[in-house]
Amino acid sequence: MAKVKVKYFGRLRELMGIKEEEYEVEDATLADLLLNHIPNRHSEVADEWRQSIFITIKGEVAVSRDGVPALKNYFVLIGGRSPEITYKLKDGDEVAILPPVGGG
Amino acid sequence: MKIKISERLDDLNSLLNEIKEASNEIGAVTIFVGAVRGVGKDGGKVLRLEYEAYEEAARETLEKIIEDLKVKYGIIDAIVEHKVGSAGVGEDTVYALVASKHREEGFKSIVELIERLKHEVPIWKKEVTDKGSQWVENP
Repeated sequence: MAKVKVKYFGRLRELMGIKEEEYEVEDATLADLLLNHIPNRHSEVADEWRQSIFITIKGEVAVSRDGVPALKNYFVLIGGRSPEITYKLKDGDEVAILPPVGGG
Repeated sequence: MKIKISERLDDLNSLLNEIKEASNEIGAVTIFVGAVRGVGKDGGKVLRLEYEAYEEAARETLEKIIEDLKVKYGIIDAIVEHKVGSAGVGEDTVYALVASKHREEGFKSIVELIERLKHEVPIWKKEVTDKGSQWVENP
């Protein structure tokens, strides 16, 4: 079992109504977290969540031939690094989900 | 190098004096000031901007940008301050100062610094106008 912290910013923080939260996941990848764990907990905004984070076609998340979902122009950082979406989550990971930036 | 992400920016003159103390080789200080425009993207009257940042990552990214500029243009030092929280029309939201031996590398560096700040640094801005509100993404 891995306990991971998820941080939301900007429009995502507003959508989710929180800045951060924790998930306990077992044998899960980053894709599992983004595609299943988070929208399952926040079912009231699940569709908007998927359409924000992933490229969707007719409301369905687009996946590559090897089954990997395609992220939109959002960045995900874990421990300050940008991992593959197939990254396997570890206990203590801090996952920051970053919308397109707008500073200045 | 100084980077500050805060609800309150320092006094610009103090920052100018501070960066000039970095080296007696400095012959130019190039300054960019970002301020809140009164007309929004939606054409409405801006009531305020709301900034938020992923502070650790923003700081790290800005450090990397300044290090890159030191290598690329040979600048001597830089200071960047960016506001978070609420900012009213006319309020300063960004101070960027680049100290260099000559003006040319200062001009090039300040343009690149601000362009990269707008596209790479994890800071977000919500524009609140009399017509509504929207998160603004830099093009």
